[in-house]
Amino acid sequence: MMKRSLTAIAVACALATGVARADDSDPIARATATRLAVGVCGTCHGPRGISQQPKYPRLAGQNANYLTAQLKAFRGQTRGDPDAIGYMWGMAGNLEDSTIDALAQYYASQPAIVGRHADPALVARGKAIYEEGLSSAGVPACAACHGPDAHGIGDFPRLAGQHAQYVLKQLNSFQTNMRNVAVMHGVAQGLKSDEMSAVAAFLEAQP
Amino acid sequence: MTTLSRTLAGALIAVTFSAMAPAAFAVPSFARQTGMACEACHTVWPELTHFGRMFKASGYVIDNLKQVKGVTPQRDEILELSSLPPLSLMVQVSGTHLSNPLPDSAVNAKSQNGTIAFPQQISLFYAGKIAPHVGAFIQLTYASDSGTIGIDNTDLRYANLKVLPDDQSLVYGLSLNNNPTIQDLWNSTPAFGFPYAASPSAPGVPYGAQIDGARGQDVAGLSAYVFWNESLYGELGMYRSAKQGTAGPLDSTTAGGVLKGGAPYWRFAYEHNFGRHSIEAGVYGATFEIFPDFGTGFGKQLAGPADKYQDVAEDVQYQFIGEQHLFSFEATRIHEAQTLNATFAAAASDSLHNDLTTLRAFGTYYYKRKVGGTVGYFSTTGSTDATFLANPSGQPDTKGWIAEVNYLPWLNAKLSLQYVNYSKYSGLRSNYDGAGRNAGDNNTIYALVWLSY
Repeated sequence: MMKRSLTAIAVACALATGVARADDSDPIARATATRLAVGVCGTCHGPRGISQQPKYPRLAGQNANYLTAQLKAFRGQTRGDPDAIGYMWGMAGNLEDSTIDALAQYYASQPAIVGRHADPALVARGKAIYEEGLSSAGVPACAACHGPDAHGIGDFPRLAGQHAQYVLKQLNSFQTNMRNVAVMHGVAQGLKSDEMSAVAAFLEAQP
Repeated sequence: MTTLSRTLAGALIAVTFSAMAPAAFAVPSFARQTGMACEACHTVWPELTHFGRMFKASGYVIDNLKQVKGVTPQRDEILELSSLPPLSLMVQVSGTHLSNPLPDSAVNAKSQNGTIAFPQQISLFYAGKIAPHVGAFIQLTYASDSGTIGIDNTDLRYANLKVLPDDQSLVYGLSLNNNPTIQDLWNSTPAFGFPYAASPSAPGVPYGAQIDGARGQDVAGLSAYVFWNESLYGELGMYRSAKQGTAGPLDSTTAGGVLKGGAPYWRFAYEHNFGRHSIEAGVYGATFEIFPDFGTGFGKQLAGPADKYQDVAEDVQYQFIGEQHLFSFEATRIHEAQTLNATFAAAASDSLHNDLTTLRAFGTYYYKRKVGGTVGYFSTTGSTDATFLANPSGQPDTKGWIAEVNYLPWLNAKLSLQYVNYSKYSGLRSNYDGAGRNAGDNNTIYALVWLSY
């Protein structure tokens, strides 16, 4: 009886302070993350991470490492593009590490959307840039880091099926250094606006 | 003009004046609660973005704040309270200049022109989460024209979300509110429609439909709604008289008329979003049966025939939300069929059946949410009834246009300059009041400082 009461107090304290143990298998962290993902994040990103609005990225099937890094960058206010500041600095500001990890796991485990078809000529041009880069402009192949299927590798994010408008906006943010990522700043420097659009259209069409 | 109809017209005009000066509604406590900037929910407040509509439909509960929680030994949550109360303050200070000053109310002379309202309005909001799935938007307002503090727009909500098998979302909820359309998600409907602020001392459009603000803070309504897949919206509700400043129970001496039973309210809309664009088209309406007050001393007992107002309206909204440029267009047309069973029987109208149609359309442009403006057209027309409308023409027709420029040095501070031009007022272009006043004399320049924090 005493033991049960102590457990109840411990659970109550954990809930009251928003602390959940940093453990992937922690059911409280998982439950909290699912509730947050469906009820809060889902308002923009869709309850399963498939957003309808191209302003908000699709998160279903995204790499957990990348999601964790981004949520921590929002929380630490180190990702500086305007939408990050206006939306995500606030939303991620009070997240615990364990909740971030559980959120990342939640989205990583959701099935990604099947890509949407776009103008074949634009997609073909984007495919060429994605797979081969633009050697004349010093742009390396995107596939080298993001994978031949654009599903992401390691810390590099999945891009397949992402909203073209979102990808385009991020490329612009990298180019202007509003979103300060040295590697992508270097890559985006050599891309012209129409080339960015082509890559974005290609990526949105990928399964 | 009989004393009776003059009193009736006075009441009607008083009601529509208050409706023309909508109390509004940009609430930084939502920003504090979510940690999101105004731009998440608003193009420029109070106009909502798609996310703002979802936030409202979700019951104002999305938050990122630490919570004070309580649980049972079985881990059932019995309390979840934000660590900070979601309070906000809104201040409006304004100046009004009329093309021709209004007549003095007591002697044969002119009133003063250049009216300063300091403040025009101060509002205290509790706007945010109350409990899981329950949120509140409560506005307490001091207004300089009334000199009193009173309850203003209020919307209490319960909302929940169901994820359908194909991952489509179904938001469903209840709204308990005191102003038909205050709960609506689009800015094409009356309560949150343009103009978002208007002069408290200039003549406004003198006649309007019941759903067009006339029953604001005069009724209480409960409605149930669903918002499917962020696109299809349906709502059904019922309103009943809930008078402020009047002791209950309501009776034949109650000013402003009393609803007979409940007034059904309905709303259906479809929204489609693509790229940076959002379009909406919808219909809404309500049917009010009212025991008219006929002015003090002529009370209509709260039984027998009542005047019936059937309001049916259509609305559209288009938004383009770019990084630099924002454009929106909203329009609504409200048709009201009036069956004046009580008023006609009391010889206070010439006809048993009258109608009234209001059309408003306005377009807004902003550059970087900093500088922008709105141009709009408004028109109210209807059947002729000199006794009921109590004006020389016997017509309600009032038309004109409105233009406004805005500058926002910060997202929560708005400086506005508004111009209203009337081409027709109470049915006439000139001498509409029989005392030589022309429609154009009511043209208004209105300057407003509007702060929310």
